[in-house]
Amino acid sequence: MVRSYNDIVSKVLRGGVVASLVSIVAGIVLIFIYGRADGFTISTLANVREPFAQQLRSSLLLPSNFLSGMIHLDGAYFISVGLWILVFTPITVVVISLFEFAERKNIRYVVMSIIVLVNLFVAMFVIR
Amino acid sequence: MIGAIGAGIEFLSIVGAGIIAGLLGSLTGLGGGTVLVPVLTLFYGIPIIFATGASLISTIATSAGSASAYVKQRIANVKIGIGLEIATTLGAIVGSLTLVYVRRSGFIWIIFVVFGVVMLSSLVPTIQRTAKEIPPLMKPDWTTRFFQLSGSYYDSKISKKVDYNGIRWWMGEIVMFFAGVISGLLGIGSGAMKVVGMDWAMNLPMKVTTTTSNFMIGITAATGSSIYWFQGYIQPFIAAATAIGVIIGSFFGTKILVRITNTNIRWIFFWVLAFLGFDMLLKGFYMERIISISISEQFGLSVVISIIMLLGLITYFRGKRRLSRG
Repeated sequence: MVRSYNDIVSKVLRGGVVASLVSIVAGIVLIFIYGRADGFTISTLANVREPFAQQLRSSLLLPSNFLSGMIHLDGAYFISVGLWILVFTPITVVVISLFEFAERKNIRYVVMSIIVLVNLFVAMFVIR
Repeated sequence: MIGAIGAGIEFLSIVGAGIIAGLLGSLTGLGGGTVLVPVLTLFYGIPIIFATGASLISTIATSAGSASAYVKQRIANVKIGIGLEIATTLGAIVGSLTLVYVRRSGFIWIIFVVFGVVMLSSLVPTIQRTAKEIPPLMKPDWTTRFFQLSGSYYDSKISKKVDYNGIRWWMGEIVMFFAGVISGLLGIGSGAMKVVGMDWAMNLPMKVTTTTSNFMIGITAATGSSIYWFQGYIQPFIAAATAIGVIIGSFFGTKILVRITNTNIRWIFFWVLAFLGFDMLLKGFYMERIISISISEQFGLSVVISIIMLLGLITYFRGKRRLSRG
């Protein structure tokens, strides 16, 4: 049976949330097991009133280090990957929609999906 | 120093805040972020920059979770949503960069004030939303055909297929741009404003509007989140707790929502939102020394003003309903 576009989108959205939750929970468990994450102690991490500069924050967690961080069972990187799965979930839907519009030869909406993806690309890779 | 047990308690208490935010967000239709940011900053003392970061990324989770069901039921119009995302993603870039600028220039108190104002002004369209379900049919305009804004969905409440024609696409895009700016600036989904864009500007039925807005929020928040990430606005410990909490909260919120038949209960939720909005506003003024009353006085004042505001709104909406009846 050919799955309809709506069903695929629905599955991707749900699957993304589940996958991300699994990774986030794994990260939290690891932080509690090892008592630290990316060189920060658990007491610093949990001291949520700590000012910006003294806290572990996303700008220190570079995507290029995600894989090695996970291999070293660093919880911060598992959480990071979980959060990035969340970010990519709606973006995947735009990509799927682009293919769907292309298949139906709906040129106007192919162009519009591409514009949305360009905006997302700019936000992710151009602006620093 | 906080030990592992202390850290565990702190983590669970933030998950709890997320659950409350998710619950209230879905019961009022405003989304988790709008409740999460004030709760985290006012009650947990979390720096607002980390609160907005945690909120924005958690917003994606709730959006994806609920949109998954609406897309499957074919109520959300993905096509219209993606068309409008041109403006919201652009707006989210502008909004996030504005936040970066505001923070670097040391004007973070402005974020508190803007948050309060946005929260209070979203209350009116959100309360009004319950008034009408299906808009009066309007003559399709050129954008209806060009941007393919016609559609239909099955309404289980009235057991009928509802056909609709969206109009004024360009006006929808303009409103959506500002919805995107607010989302990027404050770390919320800005669902209320998206609803205004589709309901008021494009004359789409409320069910299509709210569900499509829900779907769109994820894409808008994803745009802002990546900018937030590289700026360092996301603290993994806080964001992990809020994401888990908000997902649980909004899951139960949607279940409870179906069972709430008494609309009067909703006024209590709206009061909580009005209170949080005022408290954010006062906190912003306090930070800049525009007012110098103590934190407990700010609380008290917010309680009083929010009650007065809500009583005013209740009287206004009841009077309006009576007028329309008679």
